[in-house]
Amino acid sequence: MTTLTLSALCQQLLVGLSKATILFIVSSGLSLVLGVLRIPNIFHGSLYMIGAFMAYTVAVAVGGSAGFWVALVAAPVGVAAVSFVIERVLLSRLYEREHLMLLLFTFSVALVLGDLVKMVWGADYRSLSPPALFQGAFDVFGFPFPRYNLFLLGVGPLVAAGLWRLTDRTTIGQIAKAAAVDREMVGAVGINVSWVFAWVFIIGCFLAGLGGALVAPMQNITQGMDHSIIIEAFLIVIIGGLGNIWGALLGAVIFGLTDAVGILVWPQFAIVFPYVAVVTVLLFRPTGLLKSTW
Amino acid sequence: MKKIFRPTVCLLAALSLIWAAPVIAAKTIKVGIVDCYSGPPSTYTNDVRDAFKLATDRINAEGGVLGRRIEFVTRDSKFKVDIGLSAAKELIMREGVDLLMGTINSALALAISDLARREKIPFFATFSKSAKITGEKGHRYVFSMNENTAMAGRAGAVGLAKRPYVKYWIAGDDYEYGHAIADGVWENLKKLKPEAELLGQSWWKVGEPDFTPYITAILAAQPDAVIVATGGRDCVPFLKAAKATGFNKEVPFFMHTATELSTLLPLGEEAPEGVLGTSNYYFYYPDTPQNQAFVKDFQAAFGRYPKVGALYGYITATFIARAYEKAGEVDTEKFIDALEGMIVDSPVGPLTLRAYDHQVMFPMFMGVTKKSPEYDFLVASEIVTIPGEDVMPTVDEIKKVRGE
Repeated sequence: MTTLTLSALCQQLLVGLSKATILFIVSSGLSLVLGVLRIPNIFHGSLYMIGAFMAYTVAVAVGGSAGFWVALVAAPVGVAAVSFVIERVLLSRLYEREHLMLLLFTFSVALVLGDLVKMVWGADYRSLSPPALFQGAFDVFGFPFPRYNLFLLGVGPLVAAGLWRLTDRTTIGQIAKAAAVDREMVGAVGINVSWVFAWVFIIGCFLAGLGGALVAPMQNITQGMDHSIIIEAFLIVIIGGLGNIWGALLGAVIFGLTDAVGILVWPQFAIVFPYVAVVTVLLFRPTGLLKSTW
Repeated sequence: MKKIFRPTVCLLAALSLIWAAPVIAAKTIKVGIVDCYSGPPSTYTNDVRDAFKLATDRINAEGGVLGRRIEFVTRDSKFKVDIGLSAAKELIMREGVDLLMGTINSALALAISDLARREKIPFFATFSKSAKITGEKGHRYVFSMNENTAMAGRAGAVGLAKRPYVKYWIAGDDYEYGHAIADGVWENLKKLKPEAELLGQSWWKVGEPDFTPYITAILAAQPDAVIVATGGRDCVPFLKAAKATGFNKEVPFFMHTATELSTLLPLGEEAPEGVLGTSNYYFYYPDTPQNQAFVKDFQAAFGRYPKVGALYGYITATFIARAYEKAGEVDTEKFIDALEGMIVDSPVGPLTLRAYDHQVMFPMFMGVTKKSPEYDFLVASEIVTIPGEDVMPTVDEIKKVRGE
């Protein structure tokens, strides 16, 4: 075991929080869709992967540091467009089906999207540079802290604030919350529930795309990115409370911090730490930390 | 007369086709390739297949082997043992292949190897790195056309032992390949340099998105050097994190695949310099006419630089062709006898297939990543060649693990 120094621990907590940012962005989108549409969206991870690939393509096409910023906007919008087509053409016809059917449907879309990515982008590894502004590292508590992670630490609260405004301060947010509780009643007062669902779905998928675009400069952009993220995202949603986006925030922070601290204190078995946290939460709060909308 | 003419012609034509079919079939040597062509591994396996095609096309253009063409069919294993194994069975039963090759997945390679032994069909493992294939699970019908974890481990240890590091940290992918590489390096390093000390280990799951927390933890332990045992897709993000944090400047580290083109090409100029790595092949080294010719042909055919898999595919075709020629007829047992101890020319110089364990004795090139004026990605520099004999487990060691 390493000699634990306070500075290493503090640094590690910061790194854990920056990791939690990506997890929060992806799992809040998943939770939103789960809460309002009641769909466990397995292809949410595929959209995250597509977001990363789109970010790569756009950033390379535009070039330079500007490429990254354009990609950061264009990739989530592109993912939202893909999800819009899927929602209108396929998903909107299936809302009345039982959960198992929906689960199988989203799983099959995940397989199709996985193969599409292979056809469009091929098998080679791809890598994107962070913009010049965020290359390199700061010295924090005597350890290098990548500038890009600091950027992530800033993005997280922004996305959280945006989501809060959206759900609490806009009409569509209010309608969506109401529709989650009683779909028929909302329809009965003359609101087109189908379009509300479409919007919520697109926003959820936009967040997956944003997560993918944000992770692109740190990751190896490759097939298989979808599998690793979707399991973590579901775990976070489950410990946070199904459908509760603040639960997703809390879950992501717990996941990110236990992961980072585990790596420092017991590196050989660090992998189990976040999962032990998940099990512990579920033992004491089987329905998740915050109120589930299910 | 006219009435029966047409049916008769048709019947004769049909009969001649039926009779001719086995004759046409007998004129080829058929190779069945089972490998993963979907998902991240295909960045490695496509090169094996393409270089194999390049070599067999040339052999066929020159009249084939013993008057026969070498043909091949491929099946996608999707990196799954059950799918790959049934594909191998199908290739034997329905396609009637003479030889099997492929699989980057070591578990599948071992399963096909077992099938090959029972069916007495020679199997050429390309890119599966488990030392068990030609080690404890080796037999008459299996051949390894790539380096394995034991060889990579030994090569890494030989290179590291020459450097002044004492306190080490091991970090890697938490699956068989990562642990096998790490164990291989560490066991050999302890033999070569008994004072080497292991401060600790970190293991991550495949597909880890951010390596910064691992790097902080390693820096906190203050080792002299780090052995990074990561194989496929995690090489790229680890090197990115190393560059972003300046880790490569703080602590020297060895990563077996760090200098391979598949790792360095996607990173471009963003790869960290000074990382120690080993490989069987670089398209720019050795700078010999044979290698230059191979790179030129491969580029002309496929429009990209050949990676290490291309060497494996190319020599597999070469070994197959030379062995049949030496055997003088298409007979499996004579073919295997001919292969044992055979030496062929390759882009990296003459390569021997060791008779005892059927392992190709690859030299290992150890280099350090460095920016290059010629390419827009980093290359290996200060390349040291560790000869095949030095990285291979000895025949006695193989006998020991096989319990002979």
